[in-house]
Amino acid sequence: MNRRLLAALTVTAMVVTASAAAMALLLHDFQPYAPAEKVAQVAADGTWILAGLIAWKRRPDNRVGPLMTALGFVDLAHQFYWDAPLPFTIAQVVSFYSLPVAIHLFLAFPSGRLSTRFERRYVAFAYAAVLVFSPVSQLFWDPQGTDCPDCPRNLLLVDPDPDAWSAVSTVGDLLLIGILLTGFVLLVRRVRRATAPTRRAFAPVLLTAALAVVLLGVVIAMDAAGVRTEESAPLWLSDVFFAAVPIAFLVGLLRTRWRRSVVADLVVRLRSAAGPAQLRDAIAQALGDRSLELAFWLPERQHLVDAAGDVYPARATSGRALTMLDRGGRPVAALVHDPSLLDDPGLIEAVGAAASLALENSRLQAELRAQLVEVRASRTRLVNMGDEERRRLERDLHDGAQQRLLGIRIALQLARNRLARGGAVDDLLREADAEVGGALEELRALARGIHPAILTEEGLAAALGALVRRAPVPVELNASAERVPASVEATAYFVAAEALANVVKHARASRVTIDVTRSNGALALDVTDDGVGGADATGSGLRGLRDRVEALDGQFVIDSPQGRGTRVSAAIPCA
Amino acid sequence: MAWTVLIVDDHPGFRGFARRLLEADGFTVVGEAGDGASALAAVDALEPELVLLDVVLPDTDGFAVADRLAQRADAPAVVLTSSRDAADFGRRLEQTPANGFIHKDDLSGYALVALVGELGDRS
Repeated sequence: MNRRLLAALTVTAMVVTASAAAMALLLHDFQPYAPAEKVAQVAADGTWILAGLIAWKRRPDNRVGPLMTALGFVDLAHQFYWDAPLPFTIAQVVSFYSLPVAIHLFLAFPSGRLSTRFERRYVAFAYAAVLVFSPVSQLFWDPQGTDCPDCPRNLLLVDPDPDAWSAVSTVGDLLLIGILLTGFVLLVRRVRRATAPTRRAFAPVLLTAALAVVLLGVVIAMDAAGVRTEESAPLWLSDVFFAAVPIAFLVGLLRTRWRRSVVADLVVRLRSAAGPAQLRDAIAQALGDRSLELAFWLPERQHLVDAAGDVYPARATSGRALTMLDRGGRPVAALVHDPSLLDDPGLIEAVGAAASLALENSRLQAELRAQLVEVRASRTRLVNMGDEERRRLERDLHDGAQQRLLGIRIALQLARNRLARGGAVDDLLREADAEVGGALEELRALARGIHPAILTEEGLAAALGALVRRAPVPVELNASAERVPASVEATAYFVAAEALANVVKHARASRVTIDVTRSNGALALDVTDDGVGGADATGSGLRGLRDRVEALDGQFVIDSPQGRGTRVSAAIPCA
Repeated sequence: MAWTVLIVDDHPGFRGFARRLLEADGFTVVGEAGDGASALAAVDALEPELVLLDVVLPDTDGFAVADRLAQRADAPAVVLTSSRDAADFGRRLEQTPANGFIHKDDLSGYALVALVGELGDRS
């Protein structure tokens, strides 16, 4: 808001208020109020305008100031009339116009915005209803014929029918009651759901308004009991408190400056916040949301983790809201909080900014923990995989070669017995020989599965060459004979062997390519096929390969779109 | 007397040798089976007096087949066999209704008679 507008509004307010007050004193003969009370009402409007202008100036981007100012002016327009038909008619029409403004103000306080769609619709309805209904109802009000014989003429009067007037005013009353009740319910709901800072802002307003209403109740009760209330203490006090409401609004609004001190307190508390738990507590306290949860973003894995490093589900559960906090444009953490905090998005933003460095630190800690969790899991899987391989070896030995050896032994016994009786043993020996051949072949395959000798003797390229020659599908191999550390060769070999076995088992591929290259101090292995794709990267076989590669600080990537082939890539550092 | 025997083992080479060994020792081998399901079918069809039953089978294991056979009214005698040691099977061998266990390395007609004959005396 610029200075000139502020000055113009201030001068206008002073002139209008002063003249309204003067008029109230001079031309009061047809008014239903005592002159002093009228002056009090005008003064209250002046207070609204003045408090509104101060609020506007102090918080230029908050709509509360303009609303308060508008409320003062609109109500003043109702006071500002004299004994002539035109101002009288205007004053009657605008007499209820302050109501929707007041409702708007109460519901938008202290952020200046209506928070729900229902509130926005309700306030729009209140404006529309009052703006339209007020002039319409005047069409049937004949002051002289009803309750105000001394009043000036109503210029809008078209039909002085008392029945029509009574019907219209009944509708008006119902409309008014409906609007007020809804507004009251919305206000109660808002205050109940409000966060600590919002409650703090509301406190002076509610206190002042409640006192004014209670005193008004006392006055009404006295009236009902027949006690004279004119110029009585409760009536005066009630007027004073009503006049103090705008000041309470101003105080409440400026109290939300506490946000700054909330942030300042947070900054101080962060100095002693050693870990994510204390960080969460500090932010929870700053935001006034004890159930606040904090999760950290891991850019590499594209998901959230909690402080312990475990995966955090990234969906906002019902009744909670999730806000991502950025640092330098990169997501750092997520707050899962009470949705009412969104009433004041600046608050979360300010708290997030203040805690940004601490959040980044905690994020790094959480990232480390997540890595630790993953390393532990991978270590367990590697051990389990080792155990599983031993079990498989035991089975293969017992059910393969040993089975054949036992058979051969029986054959030898039979042969010995037959020879002792002078029988023929040719068939037995032929079968035993076949079994020996089978046993040898099985043992060779088994030994190759444990660790192919050619890998140790001649290196990865030669071992892959042997693997490719045994493969039942055509495989193109591009690998140089250069040697790398044994652990890297073994891991690359098993990745290639498992990937090739998967191609044979699942891919229905017509072509397979194995590429081995060295770049940037790493050995890169790619096994590509033109098969059906859709490989399950979480299956135990591929998972085991990933663990093996990652155990050597390598990277393992599977790209297997449905129907478009599979590419298994491993990059293993080898200095 | 000549016992009728069914040999159940998933390894055809071993079955062949075992058949000739048992026949040499005076048994009548009435059939062979490669897995649990065909073993049960073969017992129905051939009604052998003795089943030599490998513990490790492709579809089930010898203990399960022994349990099924023990439920029959005219249950044949059952001797479990394996290339593994008896100790490898622990309590399962104590709880099986089979008449006994013999390591494949110790397989002979006399050993079978010793195991089954014992039970024959008791019954």
